[in-house]
Amino acid sequence: MNSPAIEIHDLTVSYREKPVLWDIDATIPEGSLCAIVGPNGAGKSTLLSAILGTIHPASGWLKIFDQEVGKSQELIGFVPQRESVDWDFPVDVLDVVLMGTYSKLGWFRRPGKAQRDWAMECLEQVGMADLKKRQVGELSGGQQQRVFIARSLAQDARLILMDEPFAGVDAATEEAIRLVLLDLKKKGRTVVLVHHDLQTIENFFDHVLLLNLRLVAAGPTAEIFTGENLLRTYGGRLTLLDEAAEAVRRIRTGRSRTGRDQ
Amino acid sequence: MMISPNTLVILLGSTALGTCCGLVGALMLLKRRALLADAIAHSTLPGICIAFLLGGSRSLAVLGVGALLSALLSATLVSWLPRITRIRKDAATACVLGILFGAGIALVGIIQRSGLGGSAAGLDGLLLGRTAGMLRSEALLFGISAMMMSLIIISLRKELLVSCFDPRFGLSAKIPARSIDFLQTSLLAATIVIALPAVGVVLTAALVVIPAAAGRFWTDRFDVLLAISALIGAASGLIGTLLSSLHSNLPAGPVIVLSATTLFIISLLLAPGRGWISRHMQQRSRLQDRQVRQFLDGILSSELEESSLVVLKRQPVTTAAIDRRNLVVSSRNGWIETDSQRIQLTPEGRRRAVRARKALQIWREWLTSEASIDRDLIDLDEQDIEKILPPDLIDTLQRSIDHRGTS
Repeated sequence: MNSPAIEIHDLTVSYREKPVLWDIDATIPEGSLCAIVGPNGAGKSTLLSAILGTIHPASGWLKIFDQEVGKSQELIGFVPQRESVDWDFPVDVLDVVLMGTYSKLGWFRRPGKAQRDWAMECLEQVGMADLKKRQVGELSGGQQQRVFIARSLAQDARLILMDEPFAGVDAATEEAIRLVLLDLKKKGRTVVLVHHDLQTIENFFDHVLLLNLRLVAAGPTAEIFTGENLLRTYGGRLTLLDEAAEAVRRIRTGRSRTGRDQ
Repeated sequence: MMISPNTLVILLGSTALGTCCGLVGALMLLKRRALLADAIAHSTLPGICIAFLLGGSRSLAVLGVGALLSALLSATLVSWLPRITRIRKDAATACVLGILFGAGIALVGIIQRSGLGGSAAGLDGLLLGRTAGMLRSEALLFGISAMMMSLIIISLRKELLVSCFDPRFGLSAKIPARSIDFLQTSLLAATIVIALPAVGVVLTAALVVIPAAAGRFWTDRFDVLLAISALIGAASGLIGTLLSSLHSNLPAGPVIVLSATTLFIISLLLAPGRGWISRHMQQRSRLQDRQVRQFLDGILSSELEESSLVVLKRQPVTTAAIDRRNLVVSSRNGWIETDSQRIQLTPEGRRRAVRARKALQIWREWLTSEASIDRDLIDLDEQDIEKILPPDLIDTLQRSIDHRGTS
């Protein structure tokens, strides 16, 4: 196994004294494609924020590439949930992607031709180069998601976090994101993403982290993504039980889909 | 009309002031913090009164310090209350505004009754604004502030952009979002304090917010919005001061804000693309296009079904689509030929109708094959459809339609 990209030790995060993540211990190896899975309110997005260092843990610590999160200068690529911004904002596609280059520019400097070329390259990777002058509000939901993905590519980071990138996107976008992820994996980047579609986990992600306030299980998908673990993750939540049961059934019958071909 | 040097100074000062307000307002609007401007402006009043009571002077420097301190206090309260209690942001803003402004009004009453002379020009002027008494040094201060503010905004353009659009991403990308946030709030507080003597406690917030809101109608670009908002602010300051100096009994604040409002209404109505009139026209022409399309399609149907000619009375098209306008529009464009009894598609009209019908068919096919599609995207005309779908996909869809048709 590779050296760890992320080490989480004894992590507890509270929101107004109420723990939203409790006693998490996990290691995510470098170069892996890791899915964080769990029911709503399980603390998946909170875990991403803790890795990013935008919220402070109540106890425990996190290390990224062997450096503590608060002190690390390591740049982390980030794709927030699409709903987290106001898409009526007056910027065009290229402007948003260029934001990915900002942190390397430093204060006062503006992105120049080199940054624009690089941003265009990232836009091409998600198949959006033609739309660079579009105001972001005129894009479809899937295209907006691809702009966010392109922005995270523009950050050119070793570690990239994505918060539900596949939520509510069209088939073309799903395919584009899939290709981007495979490409990142080929380049040895580490990608951690919050994912909600249990059916696509097995064949795509090599690592899973099952989360429900506490860590249910974490490790290579083949070992961890078992029916028993899934039921432990989703158990008790009746509405989600069906989804879990369905996934379990697929695992048991050995019949699973690799994505689009059903 | 002759403009005296004194008036000129005041005019320049107000213009610079408007520019500041426009710039800061655009940032606040984009950050969805427009209400904060209102809270800060109103809560400067108790600071001013306390400064007057303690300093015993009506000089703008003393009162300004008081205003700035209470402005910062209210900004801090608005950002802290939601964090340490269960009060939400909007409620916190409203509370701070109400409490501090109320305290201020009470203090004004105390000062007036205490016979300290507060009811004279000084404090009353600060409520509604007076430009007539503006000193050369004050005008100079406004000018310098406007320039400094533009400079800061230009040089921090990318940091401000991220902090307005996606602050969480800013934090993750090691852009110091909290410092930028603080800077923005400080710029707002400073702007409000220097605007107080001219526009007044009650209306300063309006001069901050209205130019930005008006500017949003004209552009979809960040930098352009900042520029237009600054321009509208400047114009409001200039026009308002000019008008109020012509009629010395009109307070400057309301007149400046009314000028801004006029520009806002003009923008709301006339701006191309986003303005009300332009939107309305677009909607109408879309509706008309659709009706004509249906009309032509109806004729095409009947031509395909029976003879190539249609008798007007037995028109199979729905009644809604066959009003005279469709007829007139279509024949004027050379899409149909009519004699007294019949309507017939011209080759051009036929080509159009066939194209529209085909595109719609392909679009339906695509929608059935790809379940998740944006609601906004579903209602398109043939030009959009042909633009959106790649040619090879169109061919595939066409084949699947043809296949179903023959089997």
